[in-house]
Amino acid sequence: MIRFVFLAFVLAIPPAFAAAHSKSAGTTPADGATVAEVSELSMQFDAPMRIISVTLSAADGDIPIERETGTDPVTVFRATPLQDLAPGSYRLDWRGMAADGHPMQGSFSFTKSK
Amino acid sequence: MSGLAPIDTITVLAIVAKAAGTGAALLAMGSVLFTVIFASYADASVLRLARRIAIGAAVAGLVVLALRFGIRAARISGMGFEGAVDPMMLGFVWQSPLGDAAIWRGLGEVSVLAVLIPGLGRWIAVAGSFAIAGSFAQIGHSLGDPRGALAIALVIHILAAALWIGALAPLHRAVGVARGAGLLHHFGKVALYGVAVLVATGFALAWMLVGTLLALVSTAYGLGLLVKVLIVCGLLGIAALNKLWLVPALGAGRPGAKRALRRSISVEMIAVVLILLATASLTTVTTPPVNL
Ligand SMILES: [Cu+2]
Repeated sequence: MIRFVFLAFVLAIPPAFAAAHSKSAGTTPADGATVAEVSELSMQFDAPMRIISVTLSAADGDIPIERETGTDPVTVFRATPLQDLAPGSYRLDWRGMAADGHPMQGSFSFTKSK
Repeated sequence: MSGLAPIDTITVLAIVAKAAGTGAALLAMGSVLFTVIFASYADASVLRLARRIAIGAAVAGLVVLALRFGIRAARISGMGFEGAVDPMMLGFVWQSPLGDAAIWRGLGEVSVLAVLIPGLGRWIAVAGSFAIAGSFAQIGHSLGDPRGALAIALVIHILAAALWIGALAPLHRAVGVARGAGLLHHFGKVALYGVAVLVATGFALAWMLVGTLLALVSTAYGLGLLVKVLIVCGLLGIAALNKLWLVPALGAGRPGAKRALRRSISVEMIAVVLILLATASLTTVTTPPVNL
């Protein structure tokens, strides 16, 4: 009897995909892009993500940025560089927690043209 | 390979703590279930050992639970170990699904301590075991869709694994006692159903989480899963060896049977530790391929 109930249960499960992590759905500037102007740094997520730390770095060190978004879970995170960016390549690293509680980290890079 | 996160010291700590926490939870649940299911077959000394393990595992589980909060806070903060005691970071972790799971896990582990109280205490401990099993369904990727099916499959999978793991040490002890052969034989019969449930739910979970055969060999999560399945297959082989050969030999009083069976159960214990580490690594440093 138990075996039958169990078999029925297993067979009744539809094959589906589990999507648990919030994941990155895009950034501004786009990862790997070369842009003429950087007025805003932003990241879009498909589910709320709590961004805890974020660093913008260039070849010769970190550049101060101002967070427009706090540490609340958000689907769009925004920050602005506090100084004009010189031509060159930059990388933004972030760390935080996905909606499911998992620690997450990621980065994206872009180049500012002359 | 896709889906592999960078590994640092805190990540390694997170893996070890997760494996220890899961091991403690499984031992606590399994030992309690063992004392209830095999109460009339097992020797008093064997049941006493199972109760002691349940208590030790529940206490260890509570300690590891607290440590894991600190480790999680350190990981999300990016501040290193300072983040582990940062009230704001700990608050974020508490608000996350880990907080909900910790309530169930903690209540369950405290309830398991009731296994020492005769009579009703046993049933409080059993309820605690189910609460611990339920805590597993509230964290990680079982939160995805289809949530209900994933949660049920996971809880059944965990309880079946717990019964097996919780029985190892008591069975090891039982090899030497008067009614030992009878208990081992009876366990073999129960375990047959347990293994069927374990394998079926394992398949169902893998199917829902991985989805395709290609993802099994092309992603870190899939490969980790294959490693786990390989060790489980080895474990099943040992269990079959015990059931079909060593336990009957013990029952017939054949010389050397005791030693061989004890050694075989010890190997099973080592394999369990390997599985716990593989599973903890799997769920800590990789993500199921659908999330990439
Ligand atoms: Cu996740």
